Amino acid sequence: MAVITLPYKYLERLTRTDRKTILEKVPLIGSDVERTEEDHADVEFFPDRPDLFSPEGVARAMRGYLGIETGLPEYPVRPSGISFAIDPKLADIRPVLGAAVIRGVAFDDESIQSIMSLQESLHWAVGRGRSKVAIGIHDLDAVTPPFRYIAAPRSRSFVPLDYTEWMTMEEILEKHPKGREYAKIVKDFPLFPLIIDSHDHVLSFPPIINGERTRVTVDTKNILLDTTGTDKRAVSVAVNIICTAMAEAGATIESVEIGGVQTPTLAPAERTVSVTECSRLLGVELTAASMAGLLEKMRFGAEPVGADRVKVKVPCYRADIMHDWDLFEDVAIAYGYDRIESHPPKTFTVGKPHPVQVNAALAREVFTGLGYLEVMPFTLTNEDVLYKRMQREETKGVLHVMHPISIENTVVRTELLPLLLEFLTINRHRELPQRLFTVGDVVVDCRTHQQAAGVSTHPDADFSEAYASADAVLHDLSVGYTVKESADPAFIDGRRGDIIVAGKKVGVFGEVHPAVLTAFELEHPVAAFELDLRAVPGYPAL
Amino acid sequence: MAELTQNEKRLLATLAKEKKADAPHIAGLLEATPEAVVQWAFLAQDKGLATVERIASKEFVYTDEGKTYAQNGLPETQLLRFILPGTRVADLKKHAAFGIGFGQLRKKGLVNVEGTAVAKVPGASTDADEAALKTPSASDQKTKELIKRGILQECETVRYAIAITSEGLATVQKGLDLRAENGTLTREQILSGSWKNANLRRYDVTKLPKKAYPGKIHPYQRIIGEMREILLEMGFTELYGGIVQQCFWNFDALFQPQDHPAREMQDTFYLRETLPLPPGYETVRAMHLSGGETSSTGWGGAWKEEKAEQCVLRTHTTCLSIQHLAQNKIPPVKAFAVGRVYRRESIDTTHLAEFEQLEGIVMDEDVSFANLLGILREFYNRMGFTSVRFKPSYYPYTEPSLDAEVYIDGIGWIEMGGAGVFREEVTAPIGITCPVLAWGLGVSRIAMLRLGLKDLRLLHKSDVMFLRETPALWKAKGGI
Repeated sequence: MAVITLPYKYLERLTRTDRKTILEKVPLIGSDVERTEEDHADVEFFPDRPDLFSPEGVARAMRGYLGIETGLPEYPVRPSGISFAIDPKLADIRPVLGAAVIRGVAFDDESIQSIMSLQESLHWAVGRGRSKVAIGIHDLDAVTPPFRYIAAPRSRSFVPLDYTEWMTMEEILEKHPKGREYAKIVKDFPLFPLIIDSHDHVLSFPPIINGERTRVTVDTKNILLDTTGTDKRAVSVAVNIICTAMAEAGATIESVEIGGVQTPTLAPAERTVSVTECSRLLGVELTAASMAGLLEKMRFGAEPVGADRVKVKVPCYRADIMHDWDLFEDVAIAYGYDRIESHPPKTFTVGKPHPVQVNAALAREVFTGLGYLEVMPFTLTNEDVLYKRMQREETKGVLHVMHPISIENTVVRTELLPLLLEFLTINRHRELPQRLFTVGDVVVDCRTHQQAAGVSTHPDADFSEAYASADAVLHDLSVGYTVKESADPAFIDGRRGDIIVAGKKVGVFGEVHPAVLTAFELEHPVAAFELDLRAVPGYPAL
Repeated sequence: MAELTQNEKRLLATLAKEKKADAPHIAGLLEATPEAVVQWAFLAQDKGLATVERIASKEFVYTDEGKTYAQNGLPETQLLRFILPGTRVADLKKHAAFGIGFGQLRKKGLVNVEGTAVAKVPGASTDADEAALKTPSASDQKTKELIKRGILQECETVRYAIAITSEGLATVQKGLDLRAENGTLTREQILSGSWKNANLRRYDVTKLPKKAYPGKIHPYQRIIGEMREILLEMGFTELYGGIVQQCFWNFDALFQPQDHPAREMQDTFYLRETLPLPPGYETVRAMHLSGGETSSTGWGGAWKEEKAEQCVLRTHTTCLSIQHLAQNKIPPVKAFAVGRVYRRESIDTTHLAEFEQLEGIVMDEDVSFANLLGILREFYNRMGFTSVRFKPSYYPYTEPSLDAEVYIDGIGWIEMGGAGVFREEVTAPIGITCPVLAWGLGVSRIAMLRLGLKDLRLLHKSDVMFLRETPALWKAKGGI
């Protein structure tokens, strides 16, 4: 999530209203006010609205929402006469380039900080950690156009930002903090992307680091923006968001020529949408005129076309408008969620519980009748608990997660009993007897099914208690079964039985083996059993 | 006044005559052990009917060794008697008391040894030691020595003097029912009718003898059950499905772009396993690439089959909803699921890597966003939250999207869950033409508020005392 710092004074000047009104209403366009400080507020915006990742963007939206200035914001662009040439060798490396000239900026330390944080938020939300889009901002007056975006040898050197000595691009990946952080994006390419001017001065080694030469300072008046990446749409959105934010701050935008095309144009996209479709989706009665008015409030250009259509001009910074319904959401926001008259649908249906949950509820009923207390252990566990302490072989088909968070959570449980014994360990200091059960999912071979298990511990817990409890559960769930001597090493030899249904083992019961008790640091005997609930009649084939 | 037991009554009756006596004496009269009598007396004392006085006295007793010396004299005394003029050490060695006695004599300086000859010093006597042995006294130095030598032992003897109080006397004078008491009502008494004369012991009914802990359903399971019931009452069909899901159903079919941050390794538990894509997956691919046949632009970029085939631990139960829709395309559909979902988060008091999610969907002709708000309001009202409000939100697979907040006294507005209308990019590829209203909520969040938990882990690694002590009826149904 992107948390944006909004300095009150600047925000009030841009929005043309007071901070109280802004902070009260800003959640209604889709945000959370994280904290309010003496001179600023930190507000979280959703990742689909990168145009709101700057005070300028927020002010623009709020002016519309509060009715101070509605409709499409226009951003005039004139050609700068500056051009970029793109090296065809970049086609498989980082082919897309966007650029613009931003003139007449008046930077102070705070506004430099603000544009840097917009840049970082865009790297995160649009750029996927710079791999899809990376943005560079340069002092235009420190370099000489025309510029070239080339694929350069890895041994080419320049002075990277925050350094005084020359480094090769390979050295930058090894030594510069940004180089190390983003090396994975480019390190496998034989040549590296580089932006240079007509004197071969380096502006940037995208997506890693700019050159020190074009560092932006409070004295910078004119900016060259470069945006490189792998996705044309994402690159263009990033350029549009930065240019329009800077224009909101008072700068003028000029286009550059890339491959014979003047860019950016900052021109809106057009979409004609249906009023009926919008009314039906939202459940709100709308006319073409009312819908157009609501869209204007959200800073779209909107013009009714006949009774049922609205022609919408989508500002160039609205990356999220992919589909007509994206506009309908803005209509709903402008209308106000709190004003929508809510009523449940008339759809008639009959409720139906899932048979697996019906069986689980019955199993719970029998267990609690036997005096067992329900517990709900985690499903993620580890081989030590599941197998080693149980003296059991690893279950065939156990799932290992690829990147576990800790050694405690490496596999998905295949049995429940070990987790119940672990529970007894946690509760060693509590009064006996302790009788615990759980009913829940286990996963074997990527397939999920339910099992039920119970443990009882006290000085007299024994085989007959295990057998009697298992029998009660099986009987009440109508499972016809036979028993044969078990070989499960978790139990004492001669005091363990396999539960057999239709010739197949579906469970086990018995007196837990002393070595297993010791492994779980338990001091009293434990009577235990576990049952595969697929043996219960009516368990659906999944 | 608390009830008297039969034994206390008998004690008081005896005391009324004896006034004050030692426990053994009363024990003799009552044909009981002195220990039992003392116990009854203390109970009577608690009720102010008797007093128990503990009288401790010290006395000296002989050890086994001491007992023989008391009879035969201390070893040094015996040896001293044996020494005559001209006695040699070798002669003394024959005496049984030599080992200890000779050492003591030398230590006390009562003999002189010159070469092989041994002689008493003039006036040598052990009379003081013998006197201490016969009549020990705590302050006597000789007695202390004998204790040190393990000949004497100091013992504390305790006796109890029991007396009746005036209140006790009054109780006796009022009359006591001294008939024999019965502890238990027996089958024989019931059958024979002898219960009529049986004097069943009266109990202090205000005292809980021992807590009983019933077998119970987990408080968290109870909350899940409550939600299930509400949705079943509202006409929803329950879904159940696998924990392991293909990325295709968990992400791609829900229009989450393949480079979406939520799909990264650090947020999702990936598995090595893969599953083949379902037939017709191409419509989903087309939607991602170009928006298929809808007004959408799609995500553009690339869409790789391998990424969709990979398995994950489901990150939400929406993967069950979408598969249910793919199999049930004819409206109406109303379905819900409560199930465990997985996020690769570091575990702390409010974040778990696995937690329960509730998810519901409604698919029908002409259902609207306003209907979604209506369902949510109804559901939360039934859960006991009377104030519900909605605000804009963002979810990759819904548009419009919202978050529902409920008002809780003393806490304020709390975000409970997200909702929205499935994007056409989600429904069109699986052939659904009606709008699908969808909402989800974190069940553990409600459990945490309802049970007042500070640490979510307690739901899954619980102290059994927490489970035993949490009432099945937790405050008023629904409310927090």
